[in-house]
Amino acid sequence: MIELSHEQDGSDKWEVQLRKGCLELAILSALWGGRLYGLEILRRLESDSALIVSEGTVYPLLSRLKTLGLVRSEWVESDAGHPRKYYALTPAGKRRVLEMSSIWARFSSSMSKLLAPLGKAK
Amino acid sequence: MTITGDAQQRIEFYLGRVRGRLRGVQAEDVRDIVAELRSHIMDKADTSGEVTAAQVDAALAALGSPEELASQYLTDTLLARAEVTRSPLRILQSLFRWASLSVVGFIVLIGSLVGYTLGVSLFLCGLFKPLHPRTAGLWLVPQSAGDFELTLRLGFSNSPPGGREVLGWWILVVGIIGGCGLVLLTTQLTLWCVRRYRRSHALFQQ
Repeated sequence: MIELSHEQDGSDKWEVQLRKGCLELAILSALWGGRLYGLEILRRLESDSALIVSEGTVYPLLSRLKTLGLVRSEWVESDAGHPRKYYALTPAGKRRVLEMSSIWARFSSSMSKLLAPLGKAK
Repeated sequence: MTITGDAQQRIEFYLGRVRGRLRGVQAEDVRDIVAELRSHIMDKADTSGEVTAAQVDAALAALGSPEELASQYLTDTLLARAEVTRSPLRILQSLFRWASLSVVGFIVLIGSLVGYTLGVSLFLCGLFKPLHPRTAGLWLVPQSAGDFELTLRLGFSNSPPGGREVLGWWILVVGIIGGCGLVLLTTQLTLWCVRRYRRSHALFQQ
């Protein structure tokens, strides 16, 4: 029983690490279609990728991406009665997300080939 | 949209705690962070045109504790700055702020201070050797109990009585190369610790 729970633990950690590694790409990709504010980004990640990200993580990460010059921000008045901070990709951010997406596509295709025999075994 | 007095009070109390823990961050950045969080809380809590204390509590719980949130801002800023500049001074500046928020930050700060101090001392020792050839260097100095103490001396004072210089002119090479190496190593280790800390904190809701 103990061995089994350890294995489960290891598999959970691996999945969490995998998701964490994709977060930057996921946020930059969400902005590909145009500017979004923080809560819209969170909702886009939830609906399009099932990545349910902790809210306290996304805002500091957006601030970091801004410091790195990958996104820019602007305050826009809204109908809700308070301004919202919108984020958009900078030219450097667009180059970065294209580069990351092509690395992802190559990696994912190689892994799919490697994992193909496992699919047949199921 | 209307907001109850209780709800407004809760929001301001939370934002005040975040603001207090971002002390030292540029005032303009703090204003921007706080305004964005306020906007997020209002959007999350406003589901029916009225913002109540219970809705605000739920929105604040989803954001996490003010300390943890401020800590994430500080470590993310530190990593971003480090990627852009790699300046030990900028890294230390951010570490001091992080140390005021977390025990891990404090331990990393102490380790970094030790590494940087030793690295800079070695470098200066090598640099001052040609200026003070008889007194600058790594000295083995006898102590009262029969022990020896190893000290780095820049050479501004007289040689320690009974002391023996260990490296001689080699301190020029060891000091300059070793000092620079130690500063670089400390920077790398510090960033590794910060990245580890960031990874160990849950990014995804379970």
